[in-house]
Amino acid sequence: MTVSVGRSVVRQDADPKVRGQAVFGVDFELSGSLHAVLVRSPIASGRIRSVETSSAAAVPGVRLVATAADAPRILSGLALADQPLFAGDVVRYEGEPIAAVVADTVTIARAAAARVVVDIEPLPVVASLSAAVAPGAPLVHADWSTYRPSPGLPDWPRHDNVVGEMRFDSGGVDDVFSTADVVIEDVYTADRQYQAYLEPKSATAVYEAGRYTIHAAHQYHFNVRDRTAAALGILPSRVRVIGHHMGGGFGAKLDVGLEPYAALLARLAGAPVKMVNDRVEDLLSCNSRENAIIRVRSGVTRNGRILAREFLVDMDAGAYAGDTVFLTSIALFVAEGPYSVDRTRVVARALYTNTAPTGAFRGVSGTYLYFALERHTDNLANALGMDRRDFRIRNAIDAGHTMLNGQVLEDSDLLRAAFDAIDEVAPWETLGRGPNRGVGIAATVWLTNPMPGAVTLRLEPDGSLGVVTGAAEIGTGAVALGVRQVAAEELGIDPDLVVLTMPDTDAHAYDGGAQGSRTTHIVGRAVQHAAAGLRERIFGQAAKLLDSGADELEITDGRVRMVSDPQRTVTLGQVAGAAMFDGGPIISSGSYATPAPKHDPDAATGLLFATFPTPTYHVHVAEVEVDPVTGRVTVLRYLVAQEVGRAINPAGVMGQIQGGVTQGLGYALWETLQIGDDGRYRQRSLEAYKLPIALDVPRVEAILLEHPADAGPYGAKGVAEPPIVPVAAAIANAVADATGGSIVRLPITPDDVLNALESSKE
Amino acid sequence: MSAVTFTVNGRIVTLDADGADTLLTVLRDRLGLTGTKEGCAEGECGACTVLVDGVPVDSCLLNVHAVAGSDVLTIEGLATSDGRLSPIQQAFVDNFSVQCGFCTPGFLMTLTALIADTPTPDEVTIRSALSGNLCRCTGYSTIVDAVMAATGQTERS
Repeated sequence: MTVSVGRSVVRQDADPKVRGQAVFGVDFELSGSLHAVLVRSPIASGRIRSVETSSAAAVPGVRLVATAADAPRILSGLALADQPLFAGDVVRYEGEPIAAVVADTVTIARAAAARVVVDIEPLPVVASLSAAVAPGAPLVHADWSTYRPSPGLPDWPRHDNVVGEMRFDSGGVDDVFSTADVVIEDVYTADRQYQAYLEPKSATAVYEAGRYTIHAAHQYHFNVRDRTAAALGILPSRVRVIGHHMGGGFGAKLDVGLEPYAALLARLAGAPVKMVNDRVEDLLSCNSRENAIIRVRSGVTRNGRILAREFLVDMDAGAYAGDTVFLTSIALFVAEGPYSVDRTRVVARALYTNTAPTGAFRGVSGTYLYFALERHTDNLANALGMDRRDFRIRNAIDAGHTMLNGQVLEDSDLLRAAFDAIDEVAPWETLGRGPNRGVGIAATVWLTNPMPGAVTLRLEPDGSLGVVTGAAEIGTGAVALGVRQVAAEELGIDPDLVVLTMPDTDAHAYDGGAQGSRTTHIVGRAVQHAAAGLRERIFGQAAKLLDSGADELEITDGRVRMVSDPQRTVTLGQVAGAAMFDGGPIISSGSYATPAPKHDPDAATGLLFATFPTPTYHVHVAEVEVDPVTGRVTVLRYLVAQEVGRAINPAGVMGQIQGGVTQGLGYALWETLQIGDDGRYRQRSLEAYKLPIALDVPRVEAILLEHPADAGPYGAKGVAEPPIVPVAAAIANAVADATGGSIVRLPITPDDVLNALESSKE
Repeated sequence: MSAVTFTVNGRIVTLDADGADTLLTVLRDRLGLTGTKEGCAEGECGACTVLVDGVPVDSCLLNVHAVAGSDVLTIEGLATSDGRLSPIQQAFVDNFSVQCGFCTPGFLMTLTALIADTPTPDEVTIRSALSGNLCRCTGYSTIVDAVMAATGQTERS
């Protein structure tokens, strides 16, 4: 019987949020703050001839105008040190910062920024993946060979506009293709997707006594600290980052944004500096999900065994490596997906182009890699005349499956349970019947991010439990529900007695950020470690108060009592009060990071992300109807079976599934950042960028599959990222089924639907 | 600059404003009412929604002089004076309708007007009313749940 875990407890931060009291990054202001805006490049590629700042500097209320000349001459980056703070000699994407204006008000700063005259000689634009690797392509970085990986990373294969290349080959793939019964080859493309968090990026910084303090609304405060320090050429300990409520991030707020600029400008101005992106510059400069081209070829036997596969991926890193270079590794884990394949070759490249640098977005490259894999899987089944679901189940991995990196998935038979769970609710053969209707299915294996986390627990004399952690609450409830409920459970107290902190890199131990569904799993484990030490002190102190042995005690309902004599009790608050002058405050700390699963680090070259820790298993089914006149796709039903280990808060998990699927529907059907030949985005505002609204999305039917014995706090694994991963695949397969035609790109536009309907008639 | 007088959350305010001052910037920067959010400043996201004489409007698009003599209600004015949440606020807490919470004030203002107008809205009516409010976290279902609960159309869980 749990007091907290498994219950849909409501979140404490909902109250200030519904009152409008929660202070978000854009709301936070230090007294005496100045305001800064960036002057960004209007074109995608060019050589800077001059930057004329004097007329901007002369505007009343302007404190200073900074350019590359005012910043340290340092290149830095998340993976590769290839990016300056301000473009000095060349601009490489539209929106690249060239200068900054600091003024008394944001209105003055914007008006003055418009008076900075930037003279740029246009250079050829590398606007597409094919252009980046065309013979004689202009180099986005002429000096690429002089670049070095960020500290702690070994270098990897890269050349010219190829900023990263991951390569795996089991051998014998081509032999199979020349002898297999059936060989199918498909090419898919996916556009960029903007994270479109409702709160634009912001930062406020102040420089005092040789240290920078940055107020951030960010997913990963320790990365802000380290990346700001690297950009400014100082030690990380010279930077303090304090977190505030954040209005969504979805991966875009993992790398630094405005923070290093605010820090530099605060030092130059000698006053606090606040910066907030306007929505247009936020969209244009955002590290969106990358566009990609995926080529998949498979050789299969007539009875449906997959003998060989080639999986070739080109991803658009944009003008700087960012974190996209890491994401090439994901292709190794998706090339086979949740199916058995005898022989495989995988090549995934990240390419430089003259476009905004891309980066993490929930589900990262998995979204389009699974789109390609699962569309291709449908094509294999159809070519063999086999039912698409049967084909998948026949080839589904079993327990003990070895992935291409040599990692063994001990529990991968859980995938079959997910297929079964959906079929019980919505039998496959009953779905997608009727004219213009179709059904799609997609299965995935996904990971839980292993990055380290830590916590200090404090038992207070008023009976409350302080949970002191640098973990960030991005909005999912991972801290507000997950960590809090695990802590309450460990101490046997009401979750309302838990007091949570906001991240502060001076006060808290390292935390790996709100990413990859890690927070509840990792910090929850840290809480369990800390709680063991806390209980030891509680029992030691209570034993004195109750005149018993420490091993004769138990904690229940906020009290310590004797197992043999439950009437003899003392409250946790009394224990904390007694300890105050008998050993000191009751605290205990714990840390955790997922150990790397056993694997072969040399399985592939250029593998920056070598394992798939704490895997989870997922099946999604979509039923759609297409309008043969308008090409519009309506999602009639959407079903999810998700293996979660243990749902610490079932309503919270359901909220992640509904939200993740909705973002996936947007990706599949509406959202796109298209790139023109000039390297500039065609969608340049939230009006042009089509986000799902309430009328667009169905209520998702989700089944949570629990295996509480699994690793994790009470069995809990990552839950928030995976719900987006299979969505584009399931929807595309459903649209292909409904139209009888071919769907090969994301998003699926009305024209694509009408063309698919037309082609199926031929 | 010229003077403008209006009511905000029952309080009469008079201030000088120029032609570029929107209701949103006045609320946030002059009156310290930062519960109303700026998400896009182009009337697309609805995070800046407030009620002007009971009608939801995008305060980012409205010159402050346009509300002269009007009654403006913002998120800070929804709870009772003794701090009790309004039924739709409480339903947002109870139904997991809040994740990051940045869009939440705008949704609550739109829905406050909806419920005043249509005491028992059905699901399509709710979703239609929310066409001008973007939420990137929830996928909207729990927000619909909150409206159904606040209007007595479902059992409180």
